Amino acid sequence: MTSTSVLPKNFGRYSFNSAQFIRLMINVTLLVIGFLDVFPFLWMFGTSFKTNAEYFTQGLSPFPGGAWQFQNYITAWEKANFSQYFVNSVIISAGSTLYILFFGTLAAFAIAVLRPPFEKFLVGTIALLMFLPHGYTIIPLFEIVKLLHLNNSLLGVIVVQSATSITFYTMIIYGFMRTIPKELDEAAVIDGANAWQRYLHVALPLSAPVLSTVGLLRFMGSWNDFFMPLVLTLGNDKLRPLAVGMQAFYSAHSTSWTLVATGASISLVPIILIYIFMQRYFIEAFAGAMKG
Amino acid sequence: MNHLAPALKSDPKSFMARLKSPRTQETIWSTLFVLPMVVMILLFTVYPNYRSVVIAFYNWSGFGKAEQFVGFRHFVDLIKDPWFWNAFRHSLQYTVVLVPVQLGLALILAVVLNNPRLRLRTFYRTLYFLPYVCNAAISAVVFNMLFRSFTKPLSALFGINPPVNPIGSAQLAMWTVIVFGIWASFGINFVMFLSAIQSVPTDLYDAARVDGANWLQEIIHVTLPSIRPLATVMIFFATLGSLGVFTEVLVLTGGGPYYASDVVQLYIYSKAFGISGSMGGSISTGNMGFASAASLVMNLLVLGVTGIFYLARRKKEN
Repeated sequence: MTSTSVLPKNFGRYSFNSAQFIRLMINVTLLVIGFLDVFPFLWMFGTSFKTNAEYFTQGLSPFPGGAWQFQNYITAWEKANFSQYFVNSVIISAGSTLYILFFGTLAAFAIAVLRPPFEKFLVGTIALLMFLPHGYTIIPLFEIVKLLHLNNSLLGVIVVQSATSITFYTMIIYGFMRTIPKELDEAAVIDGANAWQRYLHVALPLSAPVLSTVGLLRFMGSWNDFFMPLVLTLGNDKLRPLAVGMQAFYSAHSTSWTLVATGASISLVPIILIYIFMQRYFIEAFAGAMKG
Repeated sequence: MNHLAPALKSDPKSFMARLKSPRTQETIWSTLFVLPMVVMILLFTVYPNYRSVVIAFYNWSGFGKAEQFVGFRHFVDLIKDPWFWNAFRHSLQYTVVLVPVQLGLALILAVVLNNPRLRLRTFYRTLYFLPYVCNAAISAVVFNMLFRSFTKPLSALFGINPPVNPIGSAQLAMWTVIVFGIWASFGINFVMFLSAIQSVPTDLYDAARVDGANWLQEIIHVTLPSIRPLATVMIFFATLGSLGVFTEVLVLTGGGPYYASDVVQLYIYSKAFGISGSMGGSISTGNMGFASAASLVMNLLVLGVTGIFYLARRKKEN
């Protein structure tokens, strides 16, 4: 930082410079914070390879004392339906993402490009509804899912998750689509394209950057959702996504420590790996959404 | 589509002509395109809000029809229930502590990591965002294991003697949930602040430097004013999210020990489905009516907070 210039030039030439000291302290603090962010996951992953005895003897160390117990993964996979949970999570998140990408872009295109007379009214209403607190209406949601015969199906979870979040994503896409140059759309109109063709061949390809942002946001939002799938899959083990299944597994086997750690690792390690390899895209997607 | 109405009355021919006009065609298409979203909003946002108001006046177990009308009794019972206010106090405590601490920390670290001369910036950024990528419900399981099994080494690590279990102690449980909450969702606020700071035009800094501003003055007079609009939105969403805290509490402490960390959303959940506590608690029949009344009251309280926020913001702008 610029405070270096305040110090005389020969200050601390042979000893410890105070600016260097500050820089060192900053780096140590940053490292400690980083360590606190990573440690629980390291410990979890290491513990998934420990024996039950090692769980206690190794304590906070992330390393198993003896041989690595790959057996834990087989046991966890057999005891709890982790493969099923994993598939459910993928189906729910992918389903919700596609759902939002289709219906959200369709609605955003209709208001941003076709600009109907009700544009202002609709945008105003959506903005207002976004400020309504969510999560407190879970009981009627539960009821309406039953009414539509969507209970006991993954589709119910997908529909509820998507429908309660669609306003947010539509507003992001709407903000982007408003910036598409008019000329491109007008050219399509002159070529005789109808509204559907204008959506599919002009607006959608031009919105690619915002679509990847919205897609990633929705996928992560859905993947990390807990409350909705918890309530909508109460009492049906086959429909549980990872987070809910993990919670149930922990309630049932709360002293099979190493197996719980294994289950948590099965749930988290894939997403952590994807994140590490694609961290730039993740962070840009989340940062970019706020600019919309 | 109100412009169709007069045409319909005056002359059917001109109505047909209008129907074929490109402008009307576009309106029809756009109506068609927004229809799925509008139906979803009506079914899953508007109707549930309306419906929870109705249910709140009935006794209803969640099965069959709600027939027993009880009037305002649920509301009276709720307001008299000390456990509701106990839960409400905790939700409020969570919000009032978490929002300023988390956002303040996120802002400070974003300012520090914005320094281009700092090595390993990307490395730190990657680490700090990691907990946000992971499902909080699963991270909470890991923390729960750590706290339950390793009370002694953890206490020793932080120099606490005699050892205390942070989720087993009534005094500490709520604070532990708050610290976990800060840990779990710190990353998103940090990344948003960082991207906001990075998009501040550099000529503003240049101008400040010409005026002889030091780094602290640059932050106070250039950085902070530039990110204020975003910060306001972030404070708002963080407040809304924190008032609705659920997952973190359910998995980490289950609201215990003995309701010492119960929050409103967990209170509603247990009243609705008759489940008390997460870790194998007792199961009885729930009362959706009572839970709806609780939701409604909480909804109004949250709307009140939203309203105050909105008014304060408008007053500042004027």
